[in-house]
Amino acid sequence: MTPPLLYLILSVLAEFAIFLIVTLSLNLEVGHTGIAQFGRVLAVEVGAFTVGGLSSRLLAWILGLPAGVEYADPLRNCFVVDKINVALSENVALGLGYFVLSLVLATIAGALVGWLTSRPAIRLREVYLGMSLLAYGELLMWIAYNYQPIVGGTVAVGIPDPFRIIEVKGGPVGGFYRTLTITSIMLAIALLVYFLVEKLTKSPFGRTLKMHRDCEIAASAYGLDLVKTRTMSLIVGSALAALAGALYVFYSGACNASAFSKLTWTFWPWAYMMLGGVGNNLGIVVGLIIFLVVRVLIMQYRFDLAAVLHLPFDPIWLEYAIVGLALILIALFKPSGLIPEKAATILPRDKIRSILKSIEER
Amino acid sequence: MVEDAIIYACSLGLLACGINLIYTCTGTFNFSHGCMSTWGLYVMFSGVAILQVNLYCLFPVAFLFGALLGIICYICINGPLLRRQAKGITLMISTLGYDLILYCGIQIYADFLTYAFKLYPRLISMKMYDFMVGEMRAATVVAITLTATIVIALYIFMFKTRLGIAIRAISETPSLTTLCGVRPSKLHLTAWILGGGLACIGGAMISLAITGTPVMGWLLLPSMFAASILGGVNSVLGGIMGGVIIGLTEFLGSYSLASLLGSWILSYKPVISLIVMTITLIVLPTGLVGIKETRLVKKLKSKKFV
Repeated sequence: MTPPLLYLILSVLAEFAIFLIVTLSLNLEVGHTGIAQFGRVLAVEVGAFTVGGLSSRLLAWILGLPAGVEYADPLRNCFVVDKINVALSENVALGLGYFVLSLVLATIAGALVGWLTSRPAIRLREVYLGMSLLAYGELLMWIAYNYQPIVGGTVAVGIPDPFRIIEVKGGPVGGFYRTLTITSIMLAIALLVYFLVEKLTKSPFGRTLKMHRDCEIAASAYGLDLVKTRTMSLIVGSALAALAGALYVFYSGACNASAFSKLTWTFWPWAYMMLGGVGNNLGIVVGLIIFLVVRVLIMQYRFDLAAVLHLPFDPIWLEYAIVGLALILIALFKPSGLIPEKAATILPRDKIRSILKSIEER
Repeated sequence: MVEDAIIYACSLGLLACGINLIYTCTGTFNFSHGCMSTWGLYVMFSGVAILQVNLYCLFPVAFLFGALLGIICYICINGPLLRRQAKGITLMISTLGYDLILYCGIQIYADFLTYAFKLYPRLISMKMYDFMVGEMRAATVVAITLTATIVIALYIFMFKTRLGIAIRAISETPSLTTLCGVRPSKLHLTAWILGGGLACIGGAMISLAITGTPVMGWLLLPSMFAASILGGVNSVLGGIMGGVIIGLTEFLGSYSLASLLGSWILSYKPVISLIVMTITLIVLPTGLVGIKETRLVKKLKSKKFV
């Protein structure tokens, strides 16, 4: 039996990995491009539903199990997923292929949705764009929640576990090694995404985005296509967020439409981003860690807190107030966040000189 | 059924009108409208359930409470940000923070009601406190009269009084208005008082048509935004118009579709308002008030003659 503290640390790390990707993608759109993205949940949903509704169906179909409408039937889904899991625990390659293919499919679907949402909304100004993006996120959640054949509607649909084989080898009970494996894979992917976004924002593409954010008139005067820039930013951001959604579903082992609320997947990442520093990737990490620690402490000690202070209510609600208060205080007193964005450094002076010299010599 | 639709539509109109008033005056798209409206529900519920007061006597109380919430938001959050000329996104996200705090307050208050008064404040049906006036429910009569009164009062306020004219002026050109010697802080405070009050009244009234829960306001928020965008975010009376249209389409549209296609369509009720909103954004980004009457007439005429 592994100690519960270890599980707690692992779950915090998993949450860190998922929300790091989501918040980075949000930062790419809000902090770097200046789009009022209030519908982050949409792309996350799309990633999750691709895994729950498409790639696991594909797997069921390959294995000759029911894959049509009846796959998402809550009475039959658990048996189908169980059979798939048995097959996966015997075949490592199939599990790995399924995992990788799911992530790729989710990313593609996310990019597609980013492009789709950008179509009607992209010509709109700040507030309108934010509102319509927020509305689309709600729209998909409502449809998936009410229409059973996608991901089981009100009942969660199970996700086949590609790491089942580790659990079988690791020991009779627990699944500790399985959690350890998937958490480390998620962390690795999150770090990869971090470096990718860091590279991307320093590249010419990233500078274009910043130019779009800082002065649209100047940007269009320099021949920048504003609509195209916004579309590209939405596509990349949504693809990353969909990846996070797919990872989340694999981690939790189930895909439930009602788990994708705009509070968790849009407003919390906003809070992380605002605290850490809008437009600064390192700041995101810091803001995320601070918020996660506070939330874990509340979750852990809430009953002690209620007993000590004789609170006549459940302290879980204080979490909302803390996030809200943090948002307000940051907006009022530190609009640029804990680690403000630094001006992008160009090359050092002597390096520019040496480049100039090499050009002259040529 | 139809009465529910009328109550819902009228309340949605008041809610959207509050959003538009605050947006047009301060440039803040108010996210906290959802939880403000839920507070209206709880003000009414506690008055009815604890003090046993008549339902409709509590509407002024709800208005005052909403005005208080608006004043707090303006003095503590929105005012300092406006003085610093913060961006639209910052203004929005700060009201989101206020919304989360209000939500926390609602949940704590609901816990308090459960512990102290042994009530069930997480699933409220205000309909059971309602009574009949002749053939109709009292709520329908009150909703129609109240909305009509508010429309007339707002019209007089916005077009006939100095304060209202100043509010309309500041929404068009803030710098010129301040040059004329108008204090913007007074106008902003007025907008927040009226907007907050309308939010609470709307929330109190809408609970007579739907089930009241702590998340009621959050669930209504997309419909409110749809209504205010359909009406045109810069027009106060347009908000009421948009709300009435969205409310009626949501209720009557889903029920008439249900009689055609089966009852499964009822669960997609919020989707209707979002589709209407998307179409509005594409076809008429300025909302219904953006339609120029004379131009429309000209267009129709030219088509007729050509």
